[in-house]
Amino acid sequence: MSDITGTGEIFIDGRGRESISLALVAAYLLLFCFSKSASAQANPASFSDVVARATAARDINDVPQAIELYRQALKLNSQWADGWWFIGSLEYGTGAYSAAEENLSHYLELTPNAAPALAIRGLCEFESGEYPKSLGDIERALALGAANQSRNEKILRYHEALLLTRLGRFEDALRSYAFFSREDPNPELLVAVGLAGLRTPLLPKELKADEQDVYAAAGKAALDLMRRDKEAARPEFQKIFERTPAVPNAHYLYGYLLYASDPEEAEVELKKELEINPKNAAAEVMLAWIPLMRNDGSDALPYAQKAVAEDPSLASAQLVLGRALTETGDPKDGIEHLEKTAQLQPDNLEVHLALAKAYSKSGRKEDARRERLLCLEMTKNDTAPTTHP
Amino acid sequence: MIRLRLHILSSLAVLLVVLAAIRASSGAPSPKTETACVSCHRERSESQPQTPMGRAMALPGANPVLRDVPKVAVRKGPYTYTVETREGQSTYSVTDGTRTITLPIPWNFGAGAQTWILEHNGRRYESAVSYYPSIPGLDFTTGDEDLKPQNLDDAVGREISVAEQKVCFGCHTSNSLVNGKLTLESLRPGVTCEHCHAGTSGHLSDALNGDFETLPPDLRKLSSEDVFNFCGQCHRTWETVVRNHWRGELTVRFQPYRLANSKCFDGTDPRISCIACHDPHIDVVRQDSSYDGKCLACHSAGASSSSASSSDLMHPRTCPKAKSDCVSCHMPKVKLPNGHLTFTDHQIRIVKAGEPFPN
Repeated sequence: MSDITGTGEIFIDGRGRESISLALVAAYLLLFCFSKSASAQANPASFSDVVARATAARDINDVPQAIELYRQALKLNSQWADGWWFIGSLEYGTGAYSAAEENLSHYLELTPNAAPALAIRGLCEFESGEYPKSLGDIERALALGAANQSRNEKILRYHEALLLTRLGRFEDALRSYAFFSREDPNPELLVAVGLAGLRTPLLPKELKADEQDVYAAAGKAALDLMRRDKEAARPEFQKIFERTPAVPNAHYLYGYLLYASDPEEAEVELKKELEINPKNAAAEVMLAWIPLMRNDGSDALPYAQKAVAEDPSLASAQLVLGRALTETGDPKDGIEHLEKTAQLQPDNLEVHLALAKAYSKSGRKEDARRERLLCLEMTKNDTAPTTHP
Repeated sequence: MIRLRLHILSSLAVLLVVLAAIRASSGAPSPKTETACVSCHRERSESQPQTPMGRAMALPGANPVLRDVPKVAVRKGPYTYTVETREGQSTYSVTDGTRTITLPIPWNFGAGAQTWILEHNGRRYESAVSYYPSIPGLDFTTGDEDLKPQNLDDAVGREISVAEQKVCFGCHTSNSLVNGKLTLESLRPGVTCEHCHAGTSGHLSDALNGDFETLPPDLRKLSSEDVFNFCGQCHRTWETVVRNHWRGELTVRFQPYRLANSKCFDGTDPRISCIACHDPHIDVVRQDSSYDGKCLACHSAGASSSSASSSDLMHPRTCPKAKSDCVSCHMPKVKLPNGHLTFTDHQIRIVKAGEPFPN
């Protein structure tokens, strides 16, 4: 716990998430100390003295003393934002996650858009098991530029992907894990990717030891395909199918990842998934999505209807049904499903693309224009083309 | 009247001969299908193959662009590219001064500016350089300017995935995709009748049996939004551009995207669909004034919006400056960053001097 200046690298040194998170705190603390100073105070004499002693304690790594002194300083001046930051981040380093979360919240009340504080609070919430709050903070921290260094970005994106998996947003998690496709994977990463791929809403630490292998194998195969190495991925997936033919979602994962490069092959795998697991709504969604992307609403409609019947709460099922209805001449009903999806996932670009089209087809010109402008706004910072124009 | 009957009878005779030939074949669309189309749809069937879409790809020996350019070369960094044509066969070479790779050009893409798809070491590549008539000569292929080849093999071009090959061949040729699979053995260069008019073969077979009721879908009946997505399959839809994060001047090539960004775009108003202004069976009309009637169909004192929900266009604004050559101001010409290609911006708007290119 004293390793607050540690430089542990995620997925390389194998020391796990704790040292990595501490490294994140250390990096942010250093930056903070260079850019800030404790100056304006209500009671200059005693306040300055306490702050100076707290700084000295922190400098010699006497964390308990530093925390105590910062606490005293904040009693003298509760509006001293930097004090909340120091105490919160130091508490995070000691593993006092609830206290750290509370003190960082005070800091964020005074400085609402502080990306490092949002990041650390998100990590505290992660450790405390407050997963939805944690994801919210980490996503906001990323949006505000917390991934300012490669190491920070790895830490935050990894936790974001873990949380997305834990909260059942598996496809979003796989998109986040694509960030790591060029890394040398460590065992925890392989299991984590496998959990997202096999649609299992658990953290790697929540998995039983004897269940790790199949998830690690799925994670390895998925990462191979994410870096477009189909030749390496194919035998990896084949091994999984042979060893554990009934494992749910393995064919789905293969199909889902094949879709970008080979929709026809993807379709074959998704249909195999349905043979094993006929109630797999996610596979139905993808089987609807593939014809939708080639403008074939009629082929998509039965799959979309079945997906919604299997799992009406699945936002992507509502999305494909909304799109399929729009494409087959029923934009009004389509809009109903799409508006429902927009309530569930207001930040999902695909929902707004579909709504723009549905409104346009039903003559709601202003609504269509509003959705198009929203899509452009949502993607204005996505500068890297995903394909060659 | 007698001449008309004779024409119909002779057309039917030609049709029956061609249809008999089609019946004897596999049933897949073939060059004979187009020949058959001519017998009833003569004017369009004869003009369409001459359009840029009809000439979107050329096979060796039938490439008018390179036929007139026997040899052309350009140096790009450490590599020199040469395209040479002899007796209708073209080759593409790249050398670093010590080693040279020379490849036959099997597929010529584009009716004016031309890019080539090449085969090298069992893979397919988009050529690193293209031919631009405006220079005239070779320069980097549009969009590939930032490629940094690490060796001579890399310098050939950009390797293209099977998915991207499907897009290239799917749009520039006909019958190259069979059941979603790339089937280059059956391809026919350019956009042919069947490419847009799905069901032509069935229509012909039925016609052979005297049934003229089974017609291919009438694309004129599609809504503007549907036309715009239909044409966008190759010219790129609004969704495709947004989903792929394409931005900047390059997007001026994607007319459906630009048009949908226009304030006046209305998916249910036939006055603003692709085919309201363009007939895909004839060459694109370059004279600005020829489009005035299309603009004035909405922007004139007597016109109104067809969309009940529209408020600002219930009385579309009329232009205070001019009543002719509307597109010369409201649809400016935009040069791509390489300066070799110019497109009309289909984002219809009031253009303000000095404003950046609107995304």
